[in-house]
Amino acid sequence: MPSANPLAWVHGSDAPEKPLLELGFMALTDCAPLVVAATQGFAQTYGLSLNLRRQSSWASLRDKLLNGQLDAAHSLYGLIYALQLGIDASGATDMAVLMGLNQNGQAINLSPALLRHGVTSGEALRRFVHQSRTKLTFAQTFPTGTHAMWLYYWLASHGIHPLHDVHSVVVPPAQMLAHLQAGRIDGFCVGEPWSAGAVEQAQGFTLATSQSIWPDHPEKVLGCTRAFVEQHPNTARALVMAVLAASRFIEQSCENRRNTAQLLSGKAYLDAPLTHIEPRLLGHYQDGLGNQWQDPHALHVHDDGRANLPYLSDGMWFMTQFRRWGLLRDDPDYLGVARAVQQRALYRDAATAIGVPCADTQMRSSQLIDGRHWDGSDPGAYARSFSLHALAEMPAALTRP
Amino acid sequence: MLRILLIDDTAKKVGRLKAALVQAGFEVIEESGLTIDLPARVETVHPDVVLIDTESPGRDVMEQVVLVSRDRPRPIVMFTDEHDPGVMRQAIQAGVSAYIVEGIQATRLQPILDVAMARFESDQALKAQLQARDQQLVERKRIELAKGLLMKMKDCNEEQAYTLMRRQAMSKQQKLIQVAEQIIAMSDLLG
Repeated sequence: MPSANPLAWVHGSDAPEKPLLELGFMALTDCAPLVVAATQGFAQTYGLSLNLRRQSSWASLRDKLLNGQLDAAHSLYGLIYALQLGIDASGATDMAVLMGLNQNGQAINLSPALLRHGVTSGEALRRFVHQSRTKLTFAQTFPTGTHAMWLYYWLASHGIHPLHDVHSVVVPPAQMLAHLQAGRIDGFCVGEPWSAGAVEQAQGFTLATSQSIWPDHPEKVLGCTRAFVEQHPNTARALVMAVLAASRFIEQSCENRRNTAQLLSGKAYLDAPLTHIEPRLLGHYQDGLGNQWQDPHALHVHDDGRANLPYLSDGMWFMTQFRRWGLLRDDPDYLGVARAVQQRALYRDAATAIGVPCADTQMRSSQLIDGRHWDGSDPGAYARSFSLHALAEMPAALTRP
Repeated sequence: MLRILLIDDTAKKVGRLKAALVQAGFEVIEESGLTIDLPARVETVHPDVVLIDTESPGRDVMEQVVLVSRDRPRPIVMFTDEHDPGVMRQAIQAGVSAYIVEGIQATRLQPILDVAMARFESDQALKAQLQARDQQLVERKRIELAKGLLMKMKDCNEEQAYTLMRRQAMSKQQKLIQVAEQIIAMSDLLG
């Protein structure tokens, strides 16, 4: 809540260099911290006004971040790192992750047709893919985005090569359902509310949540160019304080989460029915196969700051997967790049100023769905250690150890 | 294509300038009527740029156009055949973005207008930043006032008052400032 003396940040030498910010977001449940920060009086306290700008595609959000039409944005973790590494067409640009916006809360859905074929598990899908004469098509939301990485990781963990055994295509979230209904795609990996919405409309089922792939995985971040942080350090810190305070507020009570869902369903934000947003935001899952559960790793936007801390190992993981799937032809300087992108010092200042716990660790340790551990150590070896991959230049003898 | 409202209310012949603009590929709407209609014309024509003569009857027309376009501002470019720095300075203070000197070649018009538009846009951005600073202060004061009223009404502490206001705002898909204004209005009503 309002900290001891927020005005000190506004009037002193720490006053934001730029008081009016243009913030980009995509119509997804995990944009909640930005919408709440901008509309519920969290920004004025720190001398900022936030203009929310809804974007129609990740590509346009990226372009506007680069040309300065947006100051900062709700971004896919992978999008920021792909820009940093110059993987996409726009060339390399120094980027910054100001803070994590959320963990968990994405999902892989399959079509009603696959359900009729009895394909309701990873094992059944593996058999179907290897026996069927036609290749299935799976959609994700951006070539270097998190949904592509969750889809690839999940498929590979079930013995399905995401780039050889199936077609992988990009479809904007809002069009997933239409393409599924038209039979142009057989499944998709997407952020909420689009997975819950498909289940709600009896258009297929949720085969796997992203948190079943990696409990408490990194997902969206508050991203901007490095130039923006360097030119506006006070603004960037004030922005993190405002968004962090909003994240904390959202998770302060069940009622706050419900109210957040109501706000998000508004026309200016997600413009989606409350029934598609609220249940999974509260952790109530049903998969469309008759299973219901309360998910302990549902969408977190705060988790006492654990969902917001920009761990180096989180950023590095996306680089290992880019390497694994051939998006990077050589090993980057994993640790060096992550140190430059993750704005840990700035985050620490902001978190400390508003009393959010901030652990001193740079790495965190996780176990993923295939039983493998990731803790940030030896990223190059980790990237090379998967049996299914697309490491382009890897000598054939080494591909199947 | 840029749409230019060319205000032609002086004895000076604008013929050459208009021809040059058309030749350079601009859409030119000529306004030779009474200056009293000017505000309405700017509204209906929606020009990208307003071009007027420095000798246009008095500075009042300028003032009027600047005032009228305050809500939906447009760059105003002056054409002149004099080089009086005093007149220029006055005009720039009134919100003029650039000058076109009469008799200029058609090919030189585009870059001048581009510069005028760019300068205008950066002026607007600066104005927006300054307005944002003022607005934040006003909003923060109004929210503080509403919070104080609510604390009295509900006999609750600061944090509880903020939470009540935010819940109300979020469940109605409103901004916090809107709820603050409603509380202040309600409190005025109840005296």
